[in-house]
Amino acid sequence: MTSTATATSTEIPGRRAAFPRPLLLAKDYAVLILLVVVTVYLSFASSAFFTSDNLLNILNQNAPLAIIAAAGTFVIVSGNFDLSTASVFAVASVSAAWLASETGDVALALAAAPVIGLALGAVNGLVVTALRIHSFLATLASSLVYSALAVLITGGALITVTAEGFTELGRGEFLGVFIPVWVLAGVVALLWFLLSGTVFGRHVFATGGNAEAAELSGVRVNRVKILVFTLSGLAAGVAAAIAVSRIASGQPQAGAGMELQAIAAIILGGTSIHGGVGAVWRSVAGVFLIALIGNGFDILDFNPQLKDLVTGVIILAAVALAAVGRTRR
Amino acid sequence: MAHKSMKALVAAAAVALLATSCAAEDSSGDGSAEGGAYKVAVLAASAQNGYNQAVYEGVVAGAEDLGLEVDAKILDGGFDATTQLSQLQNAATSGEYDGVIVVPHDGPSLTAAFPMTGDLPVVSVLNPIGPDIDELEPQVEGVVSTVAVSPTAAAERQAEDVVTYCADLDPCSVMLVVGNLSSPLDVARRDAYQSVLEANDNIEIVSTLEGNYDRDQSLSGVANALQSNRDVNVILSNADQMTLGAEVALTNAGIDPSTVYLTGGGGTTEALQAVREGRWAADYVNFPVSMGAAAMEQLANAIAGDPVETVVDADAVGPEGVEPYADADSLATVEDFTGEWNG
Repeated sequence: MTSTATATSTEIPGRRAAFPRPLLLAKDYAVLILLVVVTVYLSFASSAFFTSDNLLNILNQNAPLAIIAAAGTFVIVSGNFDLSTASVFAVASVSAAWLASETGDVALALAAAPVIGLALGAVNGLVVTALRIHSFLATLASSLVYSALAVLITGGALITVTAEGFTELGRGEFLGVFIPVWVLAGVVALLWFLLSGTVFGRHVFATGGNAEAAELSGVRVNRVKILVFTLSGLAAGVAAAIAVSRIASGQPQAGAGMELQAIAAIILGGTSIHGGVGAVWRSVAGVFLIALIGNGFDILDFNPQLKDLVTGVIILAAVALAAVGRTRR
Repeated sequence: MAHKSMKALVAAAAVALLATSCAAEDSSGDGSAEGGAYKVAVLAASAQNGYNQAVYEGVVAGAEDLGLEVDAKILDGGFDATTQLSQLQNAATSGEYDGVIVVPHDGPSLTAAFPMTGDLPVVSVLNPIGPDIDELEPQVEGVVSTVAVSPTAAAERQAEDVVTYCADLDPCSVMLVVGNLSSPLDVARRDAYQSVLEANDNIEIVSTLEGNYDRDQSLSGVANALQSNRDVNVILSNADQMTLGAEVALTNAGIDPSTVYLTGGGGTTEALQAVREGRWAADYVNFPVSMGAAAMEQLANAIAGDPVETVVDADAVGPEGVEPYADADSLATVEDFTGEWNG
């Protein structure tokens, strides 16, 4: 279990002494440093930025992506990839829209989205473990299957939902805060605890650090893999319920590109793409760093054609900073 | 063993080639070969998109109206210029079709397919094929007709309605939501909006956003922009999906959408309902089913060797009495019209 113990930290033992402490801190907390830098810049650049309204707005609109990234952290820490989250999101959202418009039962429709996400995620886990296919390929293939499923459910058309109460989850407020923000807070707290404070979390780290060693140590690696994919699917379903409720319509292209945004945010946060190292808070910070850039562009009316360029440069900066130790091995 | 496998492979390839050549002969695009039925390929920018599906529906309905027997096959371009280019080239080389109707994802890039093998007539719908996205007359040999309007002209007309609304407001704050600024079409639309609006001193463009034809992305962008521009007077977009997202953002921000001049483009069922209910001020209506039918008519003329209209004004093909630049008053005169698509 040595690998588990070392993996639960983002530090790389034995390589620390060569670097000054400030550089090591910068390396470990690159995403937080950039988050602070961008926040300070935007606060000075626009008086509209650092207001409770705007900060809640950022949390609210990015809640679905942050939920997917938080659960996606488990997949990447376990040494796998999930390229199907956007497709799971699409199937779950069109299914919820279809159920709501066909039955008028809003609760049933919105509850169905996470259940469908969970089921599709479990299928991913079973395919990866039973067929021993690399998760990258397995979820790439399943994403095509799920995307086609979303198209078949809708016939390629838009499903508009007019059922009363359907938008309450996505647009409603509780204590002056949008409900998606409460859901995000609950999900992140739960997943943070699950990864950092439970035996299951340690098994996830062990699986990603060295699956063979973990297996020999008694960790049921396949079960861990199935569970992390199931968790990822469940999160995509929860995110889909929020998003479909917010826009009151289901469309098969919903969430397109979200899987790569989530992976980018996870890696930007400092979770290792090789597995075994990472944290839920890092992925959430990664999501909000990217979100701040978008928010800043819109508030300051910068040329939107430059948004991807700036986002890419900041991701490179964060990843480069975090990789300082590795590049000097 | 390896030698035997190679032999088997060569034999299989030969059989496959023979079968393919026979199939190609059998599936000649000569309409008379199948009792007068025309074989038409409809190259959709995306077969999963509501607008493209409506065009296809119009092609089939148009053929029926003309009393033609048409075997129309829709091909999915997947919103990818390269895929659509390959499909167009394949349609020409296969000899399987009598004509092609294209909804270009990227008109300029399809130029590479021309001149095509054979004499296959092509009709373009929504956007022209060729380097100039505002030139509707055929720009390449093989394109016989274009059913469209100039994107710049349409955007200018939308912006002129905004200028009229803003006449008594000083300043009049305008937010622009355009589709995708990596697309020449949407860049042309943005430029047209800006050129018309900036000619008026009382109008200030406070924000230009990319909505990517997506409700959720537009919702996020407008919600962000409202943080620094709560007193916005106009939200001008080129697509109904984006205006629907903007409407939700206004509601979330505690702003009554009907107090803002909201307008979109597309003429979806939801948009027309929003205009009729007074939530939106106006909408630029498209008629994709009628455009598909008009394209089929011109293609049939070309195949039959009859005169072809090289440009069909897409704003003029809709049901009688429907004004493309619609507001609540103009829609009140055509109560039965609820739009030709939803998306």
